[in-house]
Amino acid sequence: MATSAPSRSRPRPLSPHLSIYRVTITMAMSIAHRITGAALYAGVLLLAWFLIAASSDAAGFSAFSAFIGSFLGQIILFGFAWALFHHLLGGIRHFVWDEGYGMDAPIREQLAWATLIGGIVLTILVWAIAYAVR
Amino acid sequence: MTQFPADLRTPLGRVRFLGPARSGVTDSWLMRLTSLALIPLTIGFVWLMLDLLHRDYNSVRAKLSHPLPAILLLAFILAGIVHMELGMRSIIVDYLGGRARGWALLANTCFSALLALACMYATLRLAFT
Repeated sequence: MATSAPSRSRPRPLSPHLSIYRVTITMAMSIAHRITGAALYAGVLLLAWFLIAASSDAAGFSAFSAFIGSFLGQIILFGFAWALFHHLLGGIRHFVWDEGYGMDAPIREQLAWATLIGGIVLTILVWAIAYAVR
Repeated sequence: MTQFPADLRTPLGRVRFLGPARSGVTDSWLMRLTSLALIPLTIGFVWLMLDLLHRDYNSVRAKLSHPLPAILLLAFILAGIVHMELGMRSIIVDYLGGRARGWALLANTCFSALLALACMYATLRLAFT
């Protein structure tokens, strides 16, 4: 009996449903970390396009430049930059947790806010540098 | 008449695949390794992109033919794409089950591998031409 394969009759436990808990900042940043990660997954296509365009002829590169310089391209690039910085700071927060720090109530909330605000500040800062050096 | 045991499997056969066989934390460890690598690499990548931003075709190519930007890009692509493949894998196993999970995992690995190869090929072509 005890040596038989694990029973499959009982359904596997599922993640808590979103509607059960009220929204907290740590919950929101956990979701944002996953969403930015998934967005960056698609965003790597932009990097691939850039590298392939630069390694091919000038016409291919100017098509890429035209897209990135367009309004839509700038919006996508801004979103990519924000997702990158938000996910970077979220990842550093996970390292803090992995080391066993920052899990108590006030600190974990502050870390979550720092991720959100830090990501926005870094994005605006890099964007400001990009426009300033032109 | 011979009395057959209830279970024909050997003791080894019964316990196989029920627990981690020395590689249970590989994905988790690889996620942390690539995360850590990506902290400096992302800063370097953003720095490089800011440098490339207002350059024309020939100037971009000249910059990317230097060893340091090329190696930075290769490291960023390698760590980044391993990281994103692992991340998408955990998203897939969280939300998908059955056959859809299997196909999604297969598509994720193939897409990531192709993207990594395309990016690295382009980077090397820029570096060596």
